[in-house]
Amino acid sequence: MLDFKLAISQPEARPSEEVYDLIILGGGPAGLTAAIYAGRARIHTLLLAGPLPGGQPANTDMVENFPGFPEGIDGPDLARRFVAQAERFGVRIVHDSATGVDLSVRPFIIRTDLATYRAHTLIIAMGAVPRRLGVPGEDRFFGRGVSACATCDGFFYRDKRVVVVGGGDSAIAEGLYLTRFAREVVIVHRRDQLRATQIHQERAFANPKMRFVWDSVVEEILGEKTVTGVRVRNLKTGETSVIEADGVFIYIGMEPQTQLFAGQLELDKWGYIVTDRRQRTSVPGIFAAGDIQDPLYRQLVVAAGTGTIAAMEVEKYLEMYPQNHQENHQGGK
Amino acid sequence: MPLLNDEIRQEVSKILANLPGPVRLVMFTQQFECEYCAETRQLVEEVAELSDQITAEIYDFQADQAKAESLGIDKIPAIAVIGAQDYGVRFYGIPSGYEFASFLHAIQSVAAGKPELSEATLKFLDGLIKPVHIQVFVTPTCPYCPQAVMLAHQMAIASPMVRSDMVEAMEFPQLAIKYQVMGVPRTVINETVHIEGAAPESMVVAKLREALRG
Repeated sequence: MLDFKLAISQPEARPSEEVYDLIILGGGPAGLTAAIYAGRARIHTLLLAGPLPGGQPANTDMVENFPGFPEGIDGPDLARRFVAQAERFGVRIVHDSATGVDLSVRPFIIRTDLATYRAHTLIIAMGAVPRRLGVPGEDRFFGRGVSACATCDGFFYRDKRVVVVGGGDSAIAEGLYLTRFAREVVIVHRRDQLRATQIHQERAFANPKMRFVWDSVVEEILGEKTVTGVRVRNLKTGETSVIEADGVFIYIGMEPQTQLFAGQLELDKWGYIVTDRRQRTSVPGIFAAGDIQDPLYRQLVVAAGTGTIAAMEVEKYLEMYPQNHQENHQGGK
Repeated sequence: MPLLNDEIRQEVSKILANLPGPVRLVMFTQQFECEYCAETRQLVEEVAELSDQITAEIYDFQADQAKAESLGIDKIPAIAVIGAQDYGVRFYGIPSGYEFASFLHAIQSVAAGKPELSEATLKFLDGLIKPVHIQVFVTPTCPYCPQAVMLAHQMAIASPMVRSDMVEAMEFPQLAIKYQVMGVPRTVINETVHIEGAAPESMVVAKLREALRG
């Protein structure tokens, strides 16, 4: 069955003189929900969508825990709906990523490969990226047998055996997705039970293509030209063994994307942006939402919720500093 | 049975309204149509209906061999997206799923003829003296892939020395094997240099330099 997904806006060079009331960094659920609220509040807003418009849902086969969709919803479809809703309320969405920020000046400065942007307030919602294992062979084979995107690359493992590393929701959901293609899906997990939601566990244990290797960590990805397997170590016995496989999918959690902000915003020891209950960061006028500031829950609805709070706080902040607001309306288009 | 439903059709009409110049979608199929050849032809025809500026031209890969050769087309289904001139923008395999966005973007870009690239990249491309062939392997379910495809196509528009192909890996398994595609997007430059993943513009330029040195 063919489907046709529509674009979100393309990259475009913008005149650098324009000062936005708000720039939202990140086009996932947090950023897009913030954009919906900001658009409805008629805040002059630009959203830099980054490399994956729609965010993590765009890379998820099926979303079953978002309220209002009792049958579940196709992740990319949900992502597209978020984008369409934000655009409907007049938010300019640009398919571009920040490569540098200067948060010490007002207005704040955001640089990308294509342009320089300025804004009176920021909402940082760039989310998290998949964590890597950090073992030999991983970098060498990334994109050539090692993957973090089952929907992208599952096709290449038809009738093959794949290893999925991890025991959380992503590992199990994507592992189940891979059973559509692969002959066998071997879950390698460091504990003796899964961390995934019960419903995912039930499906995984009922699937004849799924096999489980418990209490084990991957120590090396093996192969000469292509991946031939992984070497795993059992944490309880200390024994190592080799699992033959043609591909390795890594789902061992996410890391916040905060390298850009190091030294400019307060980060916690894991690298998450520190926020208060009003989503304020250590710099006034800068708010953060979604997985980039959430070491605990990292759920779609929570991301959307914190995006909402951030946008409402931006509105209050701009009301407190009306000079900025007006200046923008004169300086804007 | 149309491929594009009413909702998508309306959205596409909006996206393609006010194209700044004419666009030819030159599509190659054959009499006994290959897998997805029929659908690709239908897609080209349906999209062409949505804008006065777009014309669909359908050719037979075997009967119109000379035409195919003149456009450098060596496999089907193929679409050459041609604006005021042929910039070397090609799609091999059907641009469905996420690649539909790349396809619409290519149409807009060749119509405008103005690449959306940084000054530094444009300067580098202006100085090219050797030909560059960029092939971007994709699957339609890969949300990261259009970024790589769009960037490659922008580079083709910017320089007469560059031609860029989207290659849908599932429809050309022999090429996926030849270029060892096990993950997408995978960009192959002049047969020698590879990029895994959707790389930023500056990194693609660095890889082009590497390919030209080799």
